[in-house]
Amino acid sequence: MSGDGDRIERRISRQELLKIAAAAGGAGLLAGRVSGAAAAIEAMTAESGRLQVLDWVGYGYDGGQAMFAAYNKRYPKNKAQIHVMTNEANALNQFNGGLKVDLFRPYIGWVKYFAQSGLVQPWDPKLIPNLKHLNPYMVKAGQYQGKQYGIPDDWGFDEILYRTDKVKPKANSYSLLFDERYKGKIAWFDDIEMPEIAGLLHGYKDTWNQTDAQLKKSKDFLISKKHLVRKIWSSETDMQQLFAGGDIWISYAWPADYAAMKAKGLPVAYMRPREKPIAWVGNFMLMKDTPRPHLAHAYVDAWSSAKSGKWLEDNYFYGHANVLAKPSSTALAKSLQIGNPRALGPANANLDRDIPRRAEYEKAWQEVKAS
Amino acid sequence: MDVALSRYGAWALRAFFVLVVVFLYAPIVILLVFSFNNANIPAFPLSGFTFHWYHQFLTNSDLKSSLKTSAIVAALSSTGAVLLGILSAIALVRHRFRGTGPVAALLLSPLVIPYVVFGLALLLLFHTAGIPRSIFTVVIGHIVITLPYTILVLMPRLQQIDVSLEEAAYDLGASRLRTFRSVTLPLLLPAVVSAYLIAFTTSFDEYAVASFTVGTQPTFPIYLYSAIRFPSNLPQVIAVAVVVISVSLVVVIAAEVGRRVAERRLGAVES
Amino acid sequence: MAVEVGTEKLGERQPRRRVSRPSLTAPGLLGLPIAWLAVFFLVPIGIVAAYSVDVLSFGSETHGFTLAAWHDFVHSGIYLRLFWKSVKMSLIVSVVIVVLAYPLAYYLALSGTKRKYVLLLLLIAPFLTSYLLRVLAWTVLLGDEGPINSFLSWTGLRPHDHPLTLIDTRFAVMLVLGYIWLPFVALPIFVSLESLDRRLLEAATDLGASRFTAFRRVTLPLSLPGVMAAFLFVFIPTIGEFVTPSLVGGTSGYMYGNQIVDLFQTGFPDWETGSVLAIFLLAVVVLLTLVFSRFLQPRQVSAS
Repeated sequence: MSGDGDRIERRISRQELLKIAAAAGGAGLLAGRVSGAAAAIEAMTAESGRLQVLDWVGYGYDGGQAMFAAYNKRYPKNKAQIHVMTNEANALNQFNGGLKVDLFRPYIGWVKYFAQSGLVQPWDPKLIPNLKHLNPYMVKAGQYQGKQYGIPDDWGFDEILYRTDKVKPKANSYSLLFDERYKGKIAWFDDIEMPEIAGLLHGYKDTWNQTDAQLKKSKDFLISKKHLVRKIWSSETDMQQLFAGGDIWISYAWPADYAAMKAKGLPVAYMRPREKPIAWVGNFMLMKDTPRPHLAHAYVDAWSSAKSGKWLEDNYFYGHANVLAKPSSTALAKSLQIGNPRALGPANANLDRDIPRRAEYEKAWQEVKAS
Repeated sequence: MDVALSRYGAWALRAFFVLVVVFLYAPIVILLVFSFNNANIPAFPLSGFTFHWYHQFLTNSDLKSSLKTSAIVAALSSTGAVLLGILSAIALVRHRFRGTGPVAALLLSPLVIPYVVFGLALLLLFHTAGIPRSIFTVVIGHIVITLPYTILVLMPRLQQIDVSLEEAAYDLGASRLRTFRSVTLPLLLPAVVSAYLIAFTTSFDEYAVASFTVGTQPTFPIYLYSAIRFPSNLPQVIAVAVVVISVSLVVVIAAEVGRRVAERRLGAVES
Repeated sequence: MAVEVGTEKLGERQPRRRVSRPSLTAPGLLGLPIAWLAVFFLVPIGIVAAYSVDVLSFGSETHGFTLAAWHDFVHSGIYLRLFWKSVKMSLIVSVVIVVLAYPLAYYLALSGTKRKYVLLLLLIAPFLTSYLLRVLAWTVLLGDEGPINSFLSWTGLRPHDHPLTLIDTRFAVMLVLGYIWLPFVALPIFVSLESLDRRLLEAATDLGASRFTAFRRVTLPLSLPGVMAAFLFVFIPTIGEFVTPSLVGGTSGYMYGNQIVDLFQTGFPDWETGSVLAIFLLAVVVLLTLVFSRFLQPRQVSAS
């Protein structure tokens, strides 16, 4: 329990949170909010054009519109225009290629990287009223050098989706992704998370900071298993299409993919590996030279509302950082640990984090793909 | 007896030809069938007839704006390529100078470069020069890759046009430009139109180079590529495919027929 | 369209045949096209080369000229193996469709059919429609529960839960690439067969050769330039292909071109390595073109 004094382990209940917020000076909070809002409104009328958002598949008008519907409704002249990123490396490439957006959503392992990159600027917490409802641990994780670079909203796990009628796992383990029995029916994710998973399987102490020898072992392991893989997917709809079509039976996947396959009536299970799943938290980041910073804050605020959170939990089976967002079904909440504030703690998961030697990991992964 | 083919041989080859043509058109026909199929996934058995997908894609504003973008890019780049192609063809055909070979090789060299290399080269150029990507960066790339095609279409036709016609005009005191406008260009017109159409269709359909140079407005192939990769709209996309392929088949055949007819009519200039 | 030639007036000096021509000579005409290509074709390639040796780099710091990336490329061998894999796939596709296209061209050129140009157009027309859409047609056809497999299970030719894995394979990539290029490849072969002088064949058969021998010793050798051109027209572009493999290739159909795109667009940016791969591909392609250009006659090229 909280015996080890680790802040992560400390239970933060909803009641405690509200008490803290009240005690922190309700009046001061209110005053700050009002003046902040007034200034924001003034500034926003000066910002024009559609808000340019770089986000993942399923978070735009291809299914996730409910998440920012409130924003679109309030600023119809600046409706969000969504560009798609398949992962953070892809986002980086798009920036290098000249893409100009106002905000985007990398995940927690990349907060430090982008904060240091000069591409982003910190958020102004005063302009995001819903920030105070967000899980403080996640909020803290989005900070760098004391500034709020990332606003957390969605969170979840990387686990294994498989067809219960076709696949009998030997154990609840990531090793299912490398099971020789299912050659040609397996899909991996196109990201350096694969070497991280290989590291977890090998029991490395810190799979985010593997030594050269460990990284080589992970790489060779992946290369040796690559012949089992039908597709290394970069976009969820790709993978979902293959799953629905019966082309693949086993895949690295996110809870939303489990939700989608269940909705299609497929007999699937979402397996929690005994190595403890890698967990992630999405962090909105604000681009440095955006001409629409206030609109961007408003967009993030809409995403951070309890209403959006509830929609996300009910439909995509993801957790939402807003502690007030409760999913409709308790069974669902339980199975996916949505209501568990310690879900991302080390006892339960391997929360994704910054990789000091990212270039080496990327190189190794490229070599796996080329082999 | 026929020296090239026996009767049996001719029959066998004809059958083979038919087989291949069927193979070439079958996927297109299958797309046609499924574009009217009342189901979300294209699979047998069929599930009933519907116009639904055609109706749907006509109201898809992202799709329509990508078509518009592609049309603009194609029009601009074809114009540029044809203009540069005319200049090049005249220089190569009507003028004798040392270095015709290397110059022709340079002008035709974009034919050889793999588009992935050329695309990323342009990406690096624009990144290094700080030029933001836009419709115009796509046009620039497309002019480069379609220029060889226009030259290859214009040159033979220009060679067919009797030089003495032009010289007669000069003898009468016409300036070069006047000669070109009144003598050369009208005779060259079928090839110019042909070159324009080839450049247009190449640009309209081009994905590889565009994927590196496109800005915020996707061209039609870019839109199509992500629709194929992320197929939530698959039936709609199939309907689009049928329409685009049919239109381009008609255009191609009409253009070719038109060109032959026009050239036959102007035919008296064969030297 | 007739051009009127005036008559000379009596008593006037005879006009000279060659009037001196004002202004535009070849350099003037060529100035614009060459400048365009210099800026938007040659310079960008130079920039890629610069990136490959770290004279330019996308981060702010450049370390100056170094062949480290090239050294890694040669030394580690992984990308070279991928290149070789792509070359093998392109080779198979090119050889197969040239072999398939030859009889088609032969039929059109030598069978004496009256509508040969119409049939040729019929053959070529699909090539001139959308590339992506024709690949789309195959992604639709080849799925595990797509038309081909569902037809097979519907007619009982194959059990329902054991469909043929057609898509996301090397086979799918080669099949689709072959399908895309087959129409185009017939053209140069057709051109060289069409220009064949039938009298040579007649002479051969008059001398007692069978049709097959005449084919083997007269037609085939004379059509070889066309065959070579056809082969190169498909082989060279296919080595660097990335669009088709990304749509139907899955993991095993991953080609060299995909790797390059990954380093610039989809994966973590590594422009130095990507540039090395790009320059290597370009160099190989240019070399192949130069070596085999002796076989290419301009006629084949301009006919398309």
